[in-house]
Amino acid sequence: MSKSTTVTEAVMSRRSIRAFSDKPVPLEILRQVMETARWTPSGCNFQPWEGAILTGEPLRQLQEKMKVTPPQDPKEYSWSDPEVIPECLARLQQVGADMYAALQVERGDKEGRADFMARNIVSFDAPAVLMVYFPRVMGAPQWSDVGMWLQTIMLLLREQGLDSCPQEFLSMYAKVIKDFLNVSDESHIFFCGIAIGYQDEEDPVNHFDRKREPVASKVQFLGFE
Amino acid sequence: MDVSEAVTSRRSVRAFLDQPVDRDVLRRVLETAQRSPSGGNTQPWNAVVLTGKPLQKLLGKVAEVIPQGLAAYSPEYNIYPPELDGAYQERRFGVGEAMYTALDIPREDKASRLKWFARNFQAFGAPVLMLVHTPRYMGPPQWSDMGMWLQTVMLLLREEGLDSCAQEAWAVYTKQIRECVDIPDDHIFFCGLAIGHGDRSQPINQFPVPRAPLDEVVRWEGF
Repeated sequence: MSKSTTVTEAVMSRRSIRAFSDKPVPLEILRQVMETARWTPSGCNFQPWEGAILTGEPLRQLQEKMKVTPPQDPKEYSWSDPEVIPECLARLQQVGADMYAALQVERGDKEGRADFMARNIVSFDAPAVLMVYFPRVMGAPQWSDVGMWLQTIMLLLREQGLDSCPQEFLSMYAKVIKDFLNVSDESHIFFCGIAIGYQDEEDPVNHFDRKREPVASKVQFLGFE
Repeated sequence: MDVSEAVTSRRSVRAFLDQPVDRDVLRRVLETAQRSPSGGNTQPWNAVVLTGKPLQKLLGKVAEVIPQGLAAYSPEYNIYPPELDGAYQERRFGVGEAMYTALDIPREDKASRLKWFARNFQAFGAPVLMLVHTPRYMGPPQWSDMGMWLQTVMLLLREEGLDSCAQEAWAVYTKQIRECVDIPDDHIFFCGLAIGHGDRSQPINQFPVPRAPLDEVVRWEGF
């Protein structure tokens, strides 16, 4: 994709990529994306977001540590918990069903599914990962600010021909990640990783259909002619 | 419009032209914005988009209670954390100072500053106001999802030549909003988004809003 990617093209072509090629990501491009993303808005201009971008040896070392560490208990935070969020369960199951169908992993194949889930730890072989954290003192509206920043980054990556996958999954290893990065566990919460790289266009996991609710079920229009 | 231009040309616009916004354009924007990502594909965002009479009714209702000051406030969440350290307070006050400097309103002139603040509740003259809400059981990660959707909307609006202003300020008049529009009781009201054609010639739409340098925000490992 060239520099002239429209916003619409970026929004429509962005998807969670779960198989990356080994083509490295140039530092200069990432710097440019992150510089521009500073212009994301935030309530009171707090800019609550913080992060570390890892590649190469440090990334590999961190992933090795995660591989030998059990998921942390208690959780860093409760993410898309189907028990708490009823409609989430059906949508989560749908994504899972579509994804595993694309991968030709059978429903009963627990091992196959677990193997694929474990690929989250290596961020689907993405050459770079942005680890996102921020002060624990921030409330729900500041999480929204962080979300605005993340989507800005993901859309700017599309403009550079790059792909991404936001991974709340990595919060299962929040303490390991913060320890590795010397980020205080006391003062900061770890939110998610963003896998960054060029997608493997051949892999079917990058091509299954993604579903969305119709606008009419989300937005009500009042007062228009 | 490319993504970079949309990101850098978006700013909180606080003076709009008296020019209506086409519903089809808004529909297109919101249709495309449905492609925003969300954890577990939850899509937690919900909204009511108002213009014309329903909008005027809301603005009128809120105008009635503005003279009551804080006594009329009914926020359902803390807009900013009560306990925040210096760097964040500086960022917060920095915007206010930059804005009032552009408007040439000194700190001592509290009355004029309050009058300007009250313009929030006319949506700064925007012809359209979008009110954003979400089920109460959604947790902080779902608020992040809402943020992703909101920024998607704001960037798509830039592509359509439209401006916006995200307004958490509306949260203080949640009660009046609930009286005017149908937001389910088990949903929390988050924020407004003023939408229209910005009057970019106004000083209020021109002052620079600073951002932290990149090195304060992001570290690089292994490059």
